[in-house]
Amino acid sequence: MDADRALVEAAAGGDRDAFDELIRRHESAILGLCRALSGGSADAEDLAQEVFVRAWKSLRTFRGDSAFRTWLHRVAINVARTHHASRGKIMRLFRPVSPRDEDPPDAVEPIDTRLARRDIVERALATLPDELREAITLRDLQGLEYREIAALLDVPIGTVESRIFRARQRLRPLLAPLLDRPVTS
Amino acid sequence: MTCDRTAPLLASLADGMLDGERRAMLDAHLAVCGACRASLGDQIAVRAWLTNTPDACVPDGFRDRVRARIEKDEGVFGVADFRLWTLRLAPLAALLALAACLGLGAKPSGALTGATTVAAASTGFSPSRVVDWERTVSGDALLEAALFPSQAGAADVR
Repeated sequence: MDADRALVEAAAGGDRDAFDELIRRHESAILGLCRALSGGSADAEDLAQEVFVRAWKSLRTFRGDSAFRTWLHRVAINVARTHHASRGKIMRLFRPVSPRDEDPPDAVEPIDTRLARRDIVERALATLPDELREAITLRDLQGLEYREIAALLDVPIGTVESRIFRARQRLRPLLAPLLDRPVTS
Repeated sequence: MTCDRTAPLLASLADGMLDGERRAMLDAHLAVCGACRASLGDQIAVRAWLTNTPDACVPDGFRDRVRARIEKDEGVFGVADFRLWTLRLAPLAALLALAACLGLGAKPSGALTGATTVAAASTGFSPSRVVDWERTVSGDALLEAALFPSQAGAADVR
């Protein structure tokens, strides 16, 4: 049973307060997803806002086949892909390679704060190809199941497994300075 | 089982989502392959770090800004939203279509319009003459007959 169902039905009927509550429940996850998918870009908040605006407009088309959370993630991926495609076109016009792609996490950066840790992870994720970044973000940062990721990305579960494996492999050397430290929440 | 085939399974194993036959095959391979064991260690280490990544901080006023964008879209661009207008105007369009079918389309042949009747009364033409007149007279002449009855005799009947 989808915990958001009653709120979704109310919001689909035009109840703004119900939609506010849905935003409150999912804003952190969606913002985190947008930050990860955009490589920690400053546009992440704009993207997250766009996700919720589109969700509000499309709420009547949500049939409840999946959980609202899964559906919202799909909207976020579409928004991020559109943004990435348009940004990529502009970047290619002005510089052949984004400096971010050549800029692995700096080992001497302070990693004591939660913010810095997140920043390092986002910068490492930014170096991955889109398909690997999407899969690993949905799994390790968003906690989605393999079958949910497969449905979201419209690929077989075997492909999801393979992408997650390759993403972690590529991240391993980038996060090497961190991996020697104990993981603390 | 070869190393190539085990690779994707290592991710699932690190996630604790591998069981049954696949798990048994992988365990057998890991028992004899140091490289895959090391690779599994990497998977587990990276996963542990990523899953413990702190949640993104939601900036103050985020919900207010989303609400403002929704209101802006609905207030300004909503006016130009043809889908919204199509839905809103559908009942009116249906009424107009119904009125057209019942009223205008069903007019019997030879019936007089309001303007024609006024013109007929003011000019003294007989109904049969008016019907004929309606079919042949220009719109301007009809209006002139209605507005200036004293000059209606000069209406241009063609």
